[in-house]
Parts: sequence; C-alpha cells; structure tokens
Amino acid sequence: MNTLVLRLGAGLVALLALLALFAPWIAGPPDAQDILARLSPPTWAHLLGTDNLGRDVLSRLLFGLRTLFAVSAVSVGGALSIGGGLGLLAAWLGGWADRIAMRIMDMLFAFPVILLAIGIIAVLGPGALGAAVAIGVVYIPIFARTLRGPALVLREGEMVAAARSLGARPTRILLRHVLPNLAAIILVQTSLSLSTAILVEASLSFLGLGTQPPTPSLGRMLAESRNFLFLSPWPAVFSGAGILLASLGFNLLGDGLQDQLDPRLRGR
Amino acid sequence: MKVLVGGAYAAAILAALATSAVAQTLQIAVDQSPVGLDPHIATAFSTQLVDSAIYEGLTAIDADLRVVPALAASWTVSPDGLTYVFRLRPNSRFHDGKAVTPADVAASVARVRNPKTGSPFASRFAMVKTVEPDGADGVRIVLATPSAPLLVQLAALAIVPAGAADLARHPDGTGPFVFRQWEANTLIALDRNAAYWDTGLPKLAGLRFNIVPEAATRQLGLTGGTYQLLPGIDAATVLQLKGKPGVLVQSTQDLAYSVIGLNASRPPFDKPEVREALDYAIDHAQLVQAAYLGQGAPAGPLSPALKDWALPVSAFPCYTPDPEKAKALLRQAGITLPLKVTMNVLGSLPQVVDVAQVVQAQARKAGIEFTLNVQEAGRFIQDWRGGNFAAFASLNSGGPDPDDYFGRSFQTGGATNVYKYSNPKLDAILTEARESTDAARRKTLYDQAQRILACTGPAIHLAYGTLFTAERDTLTGFRINPTRSLRGLREATLAP
Amino acid sequence: MIQAALGRSGELILTGFGVSLLSFLMIRLIPGDAVQLMLGANAAVTPAAMAVLRHQLGLDQPFVVQYAHWLGHALRGDFGVSLATGQPVLSEIGAAAGVTAELTFLGLLLAIVLAVPLGCAMATIRAPLPGLAIRLASIAGLTVPPFWLGIMALYAVAALAPRFPAIGWVSFGRDPAGNLARVALPVAAIALPATAALARILRASLQEALAQDYVRTARAKGLSEWAVLVRHGLRNALLPFTTAAGILAGYLFGGSVVVEQVFALPGLGRLMVGAIAERDYALVQAAILLATLVFLVVNACVDLLYTALDPRLRA
Repeated sequence: MNTLVLRLGAGLVALLALLALFAPWIAGPPDAQDILARLSPPTWAHLLGTDNLGRDVLSRLLFGLRTLFAVSAVSVGGALSIGGGLGLLAAWLGGWADRIAMRIMDMLFAFPVILLAIGIIAVLGPGALGAAVAIGVVYIPIFARTLRGPALVLREGEMVAAARSLGARPTRILLRHVLPNLAAIILVQTSLSLSTAILVEASLSFLGLGTQPPTPSLGRMLAESRNFLFLSPWPAVFSGAGILLASLGFNLLGDGLQDQLDPRLRGR
Repeated sequence: MKVLVGGAYAAAILAALATSAVAQTLQIAVDQSPVGLDPHIATAFSTQLVDSAIYEGLTAIDADLRVVPALAASWTVSPDGLTYVFRLRPNSRFHDGKAVTPADVAASVARVRNPKTGSPFASRFAMVKTVEPDGADGVRIVLATPSAPLLVQLAALAIVPAGAADLARHPDGTGPFVFRQWEANTLIALDRNAAYWDTGLPKLAGLRFNIVPEAATRQLGLTGGTYQLLPGIDAATVLQLKGKPGVLVQSTQDLAYSVIGLNASRPPFDKPEVREALDYAIDHAQLVQAAYLGQGAPAGPLSPALKDWALPVSAFPCYTPDPEKAKALLRQAGITLPLKVTMNVLGSLPQVVDVAQVVQAQARKAGIEFTLNVQEAGRFIQDWRGGNFAAFASLNSGGPDPDDYFGRSFQTGGATNVYKYSNPKLDAILTEARESTDAARRKTLYDQAQRILACTGPAIHLAYGTLFTAERDTLTGFRINPTRSLRGLREATLAP
Repeated sequence: MIQAALGRSGELILTGFGVSLLSFLMIRLIPGDAVQLMLGANAAVTPAAMAVLRHQLGLDQPFVVQYAHWLGHALRGDFGVSLATGQPVLSEIGAAAGVTAELTFLGLLLAIVLAVPLGCAMATIRAPLPGLAIRLASIAGLTVPPFWLGIMALYAVAALAPRFPAIGWVSFGRDPAGNLARVALPVAAIALPATAALARILRASLQEALAQDYVRTARAKGLSEWAVLVRHGLRNALLPFTTAAGILAGYLFGGSVVVEQVFALPGLGRLMVGAIAERDYALVQAAILLATLVFLVVNACVDLLYTALDPRLRA
C-alpha cells in the first residue's frame, strides 16, 4: 500500500512521457487532414477516430501531451525557481524584506486565479507561451509560501547554527543544508502543482485562451469537440481522458511521494 | 355535482383559449453580447441582430432580398435619378412617444454623414446633397450624382430622433420592439411596441436575447424548450439538431463570406501573380466540406444569393485547384519556395479558425507556408484596421447590392480597403456602376469587376455558407433573412 | 483578539489597494480597446472618430490620472458605469454576485457534507484494496475537468430527462423550485472536485491527529474506535479542514467561470470574462476587487476563528 500509489503515479507519468516523446514514431503527423474521413469512430486507419477536420485523434492526443508537459513543466518550473527562490530569500533575510515579499505574494494569491491568468494572456496574446507564463505567475505565491515556512524553521535550527558558527557563507548554507531538507516538500508540491497546472491549461484552452491552433492541445481539443459532441463523441472522450490521466498521474506521484517522505505518515 | 363538473370543464376551456390568445415572449439564444447598440456606429453581427428589431430605415430588405417599404410608405424617383421623395407613415412614433417628422430623417442622415459620429456607413451617403421636408409627411433627398444602390442602402440607415444622445445604451427607434433592459453578459430584453405604426403588429409580447456562449448549451436549450429561436447557427449544430422532435431548421444563402485578405502594398502579395498563385492553391470545394461541413458554396466576389449579379465559379479559371500552376506562378514572380507568410486569424469565430487551418494545409502543397497567428477580436481588429498584416483570415459581411461588396473595400481609398489595393481601372468601373441607373449596364460593369477581383484581387473569396436558423415548432410566421435581420419577427407568433 | 482583528483589517485594506492597482495596470496593458471593439471588424472608421469616442470614454488620459480618478470615485462608493450597458457597475455586479454566491454556498455545503464521512473513511480503512480504491476515486474526483463533467451531465440530462430545466437562471425569490432545479447540476459539478480536495485534507490531518500519543493512550484506556475518531481525531482535524474550506470558498467564488459558461448562469465569473473581452474597464476593475475582497475576508475570518479556537495559538 505504501508504495503502490507512488509506483502507480510514477508509472503513469513515465508511460505518458514516453508516449509523448516518441509521438512522431507512434502516430502520423497531427496536422494531416483526411477530410473524407472526418468525424469517424475508431478504425484501423485511425485508432482513436478523427476530428471535424479529419485529423487523426491519436496523433493529436500524443502531440498534445507534448504541449501539455511542456507548458506545465515550464510554468511550474518557473514558479518553483522564482517563487521558491523568493520564499527562501524572504525566509533568509527576514524583517522588512520578508514582510514586503509576503505582502505581494498575498496580493497575487488573493487575485482570482482564472482572472489573473486571463489578464496575463490578454496582455501577452493567447498561445502556449502566454499560458505558461500565466500559470507560472499564478503558482509563484504558492511556491513562495510552501518553501518559506520550512526554510524559516530550518534557519533557526541547529544544523544551520552549527554551520554558521563554523563560518560558512550564507549561500553555502542555503545550498548544502537548507535545500536538501526542503527536497521533500519541493518534490511533493511540484508534482501536485503539475497536476493542477494541467487542469488550468485545459480550462484556459476551453475559454479559447490557451495553446492556439493548429498546435495540438488537449484542452483545446476538448473545447472544440463540444461543438460536434452529438455527431461524434470520440474526440471529447479521448482528450478528456488524456487530461484526466495526465493530471491523475502527477497527483498520484505527489501523493505517493508525500507518503514516502513524510515520516509522520509512514507508520501505517 | 354535474353542474360543478361542467362548470369546471368550461372554465378550463376558457382558460386554454385565453392563454392561446395571450401574446408570448420569445426566448432567443445568441452566442455573443452586442458591443454597444448604436445603429449608426456599431456594426458587429451581434449588435445588428438586436438593432434590427428596435430600429427601422426608410426601406427594408425582405427575405428574398427585395427592397420593400418600411418607415416610408412609398417613394418616387426622378428620371435623372437625383431626386427621391419618400412619403412617411402617418402614425409612426419613436419609442419615447414623439412623432416621426421629416426633420428626424434629415437628422439621421446628417448624423451618419458627420465625421464626428464615426459611422462606417458615411461613405455610402457621400453623394447626398440635401435632405428636406416635402410637406408635413414627406422627405425629399437630392443627390449630387445618381446612386443605384441608394434604396438598398437606406435600409441600413436607422431613423433616430433628431438630437438623440447616447444611443449606444439608450436605444430609441421606431421598430416593432422597444428596448427595456440590458443585463451585461446575460440578456437583453425587448418589449412589444404597443404604438407601432403597423397596427396589429407585432404579435409577440417581447423578445429576450439570452447570451449563451456554449453551443452545446444553446442546442440543449432549444431541444428542451428553454429557448425557442437560435439565429445564425453553424452547420455542426444543425446536423445535431436534425430530426429532433419539435425543432425546425430554416436555411438560406448567406451574404457573408469567409475570406483571406492580402496586403497588396508590400511583398509578397504586392505582385498579382503571387495572389493568383494562392488562388490556384486553394481547393474551395474541399474547404466547404471541411470547414462548413458541406453546408455552403464556393463563389466569387459576390454571394450566390445575388442571383442577378453573381457570376458562377466556372467563370474564374483560378477556382480550379492546381498546386503545380501555383508553384509555377510563384517562380515566375521570382519567389523562392517555400514562401513563408504569417496569417492573422480572427479567433473569436471558430469557423474562421477552421478555415484558416484548411487553407494552411492546402497552401503547403503549393509551396506557401502559412504561420497562423490566432488573435482575439480586439487585437485582430487593431491589426486589420492598421494594415498591419501580410494576410488575414476573417468573415466579411455582404449586402443585397454588389456595391455593398465592392464600394468601400476595393476602391482606392475606400473606407474598408485595408488591403491598400489600388486599381484605377476597377475604380472607374465601380464608380460608373454605382452611378448608373441602367440595370443592364450595371450588370456588364459588375461582371468585369468580378473577373478582375476573383483571381488577382487582394481578397481570396473562399466560400459563402448556408445561413441557418433553428426554432421550436411553436414559433410560426418567421422567415429567415439572408441579411440576418430579425425584422421578420414582427409577424411571428408563439404558441404557449 | 480585537488587536488581531484590527491588524487583519489593516492588512486587508492594504491588500485591497494592491489588487486594485494590479488589476488596473493589467487591464490597461491589454492591447485593443473598447472603442475598436464597439466599432466591429467590418466598420470603416477614421482615427479622428475613434479619438472622439476615446475622449468621451475618458480613455485618453495618462494611466496615473485614470487610476487616481477611479480611486477617488471608488472611495466615495462610485465604481463607474459599464461601458457596454451604461448601468452602474455595482448593480450589475450585485446581481451576478448573488448567483455565484448561491452556487458557491450550495457547492461548498454539499462538498463538506460529503467530504467529512469520506475523509474519515479514507483515514481509517486499513484494508489495502478498498483503501486504494477510495484514494484513487478521490484523486480522480480532483482531476476531472469541471467543464467536461458539466457537458457530460447536460448530455445525460438531455438524453434521459429532456424536459428537466437544466439551463439558465431563475431567481429563488421568483421560482424556488425552478431555481433549485437549475442549480442542481452546476452545484454538483462544483462540489465534486471540492469534495475530493476537502476529503483528502481531512484524511491527512486525521491521520496526523490519530497518530498522536494521547490517542494511543485513549485506545489503551479502552475507548471505542468511533469515540477515538470523533472525540480526538475529528476535533483536532477540523481546524485545518475549516481553513481549507475557507480558502476553497474564496477560490470558488472567483473561479466558477467554466461551470457558469456551460450552464448559461449569469454569474460573476462569466461577467468578468465577458468584461475583459469587451475591455469594459470599470466592470472588470470592480468585479476583480469584489472577488478578491470576498476571498480575503473569508480567509481572515477563518484565521481569526482558528486563533480563537486553537488554544495553542492564543498568545
């Protein structure tokens, strides 16, 4: 039970990542329009059916996974670096710097998520990059808060005091002593954030603001498919399933990691 | 006991009769909010839909694209085509209660022509010299040069009270329905105009425009009975509504067309051969199959709805797809393949996005690589208006007269000539055609214009879709109009 | 206690200012403006005409002047009029906020009612397979895209009960039954991910509470599992649970856009998205401020509640 969730999550993520990586070899090009075969159910020629322009759903699904992973990775990675960095810095410097930083984080946090994302995209223009930046900005306060708390505790802790007394420089202390202890939290929060980032990207695409055509995007596929839902439900079903599985995988991973790395919960 | 039961029956029957005689409010579902309601300024489709029920012009366009009387009961035209005299309806009033006078007509025309108003229709009435009263109930319009499409274009000139202010939010017209309320992003409520000049009309108690962005929701609303009319739906929705109990679908040929616009003032599309090459690359029939789900027709610069004017597609050699010829033309123009171009796409219309993707795929076979830049409406309009594009994909509106398609778009310096296209020969043809009152002569001239524009013009006219309306069978008396006007709801009734 | 409340109020106001400035900046940075949108893509307009319209709408002033103008009016309770309809912004928002409030309240209520037993079950069931099943189900609940759920639900209703009023809005005052029927599906769509989130939080804090030493003592004393769960586990776990519920409430209030979109509900989310698309500056500004303030106030109340109830946190 302990590691089952973790293994499931890791397995699912690995599987999807591999599929995405080898997309061009597994399926044909995602833009090929086979107009006469449009809106067809799964057949041997098109294993998961075709969409309204006759494009292969399997191919668009796999290439869409690429975009999904890319956008999520960039946005969460950015949020982790900037937000996490800010949080660590704030914890380390303390005093006014800490208070101001946290005040700004609070403001960002209180801003309605979807609106902040929409606003940023409206300024940058719709597209994968805009979506990645928007999602990243939304997650910055979360990472800042998540890393700041434990960093504060550690700062006052014995290990750091010892290192300080030995004359270690602040950067060295941060890198050698603080960060490794935060690894657990970083990993867990990153996985969980990736999971929700995927959903946010899907929502943005649903509203027409995420990745733009013809770049394949699962969220956009799902959004477009609702126009012809009753003609052919397959694109909706498979793109929805894709989003679900990707988000599920990261969530299970994060959950499993939390179980493993949080000593208080291990003895079950 | 029997008396009681009998009485109850009688009461029930009376009640049923009473309900059927009571006018109903029609629930309409649309996908977008209007952007302001000023009929002289805002021209978005969503605005025109609502305004067509609130305002009237001197004339109107019926479902067969013929000019019919509206606020003007009748008119005469002088033989030289320069003087028009309209007789106004005797008992017409604005929604605020004031009677309609010739001064109001004059003020409306002046308002449209006034550069301060910023009306897109201004150039259509540039030839008007004077607008004067002709007796207590008449208006005399004198022109500097004849204008053949004047009566058609007057249908789009809404008559508003002289000195009206803030029409964008406080509409005041003469039409069959009165503006009552606008809840942002939710609904627009119109009530029956009890003082309408056409006594007995309208028969509906009111209109409710529900703003429902979700296509699936609009559809389910119609089949479930929440909404009774869905104007301007797309082919996919129609296919899904076919055969549903209680749902009727009307169709007509749309006047609007999907278009690829090209910037004729800079490379690569400043050379006619390159523009022609793109024409040869596009397979119009396949595009209609893909983006219109087969519900539409490829055509040239004029909608097939203009039966008296539009040349058939067979008249244009470039409408036969030929990717090799396209490549040859490109090489002839000195272009190295592949030619890379960015295309701005109007992202707020899903059909346009589909069209752009199909064109992209087709053009690739002819050596033209389009990069799609899907923009939201605000940014698209900005770039469109500023000529800041190499190519764009959009939906252009049309009209019942060929001048509606050509005048302001392709004449040098025309108000919507964003292509920066200038062809003196075409200018002369279009000006003469507009001023000529001889139908045969106009036909010859417009044939020439179509031939010039179809293959080497700055706009690739892709296709004209079929315009659909879906309604519940409880709605009777409404006929779909290719101009998308809902004026026809005057005569409609709704069974409870 | 009073001191804490005052302190929080001060922070709230400061944050409110910050958010208003941020949103003002953000909207102004969006390219394309209300004037061009009003004129539509088919229009022929001169730059002079656009300038006239822009001046009428007050959009040609420098940014700082515009913000000062807005702030001055806002502090007096005047949040301006909607560009599109000319109605005072507050009345537009009021109606929409009411809809979203009902959705959020009912959704959260449902989520809490479902999450408590679910969370308890997840924390106490030891058997590996059912435990895993419930956990997977809860995560799945979290990750189902709400708009997909909404559309599937509409589809199902259309197929099974076509006459059921699932779309649109009727106020409770006017038609209670109709109102409840129409919110049933959207509330369910909102409640599902919320239930999953709350259940998981409850499970985590329950597990932590139940692993404490005093619980072992209680068990050793012969207390039944049920009593242990309720008296020791839940009582301690409910505090973080409440905090999470508070955050969720604020989040839902500002984020129900897609559900409102699918079910054609005239809520705050839709209003805000529509206003951004139309560059209806005054409306966006006020709506964002409202959503943010609700979030902050709810959080502040929950925090104060936490401080009041948890003896360890009282100074």
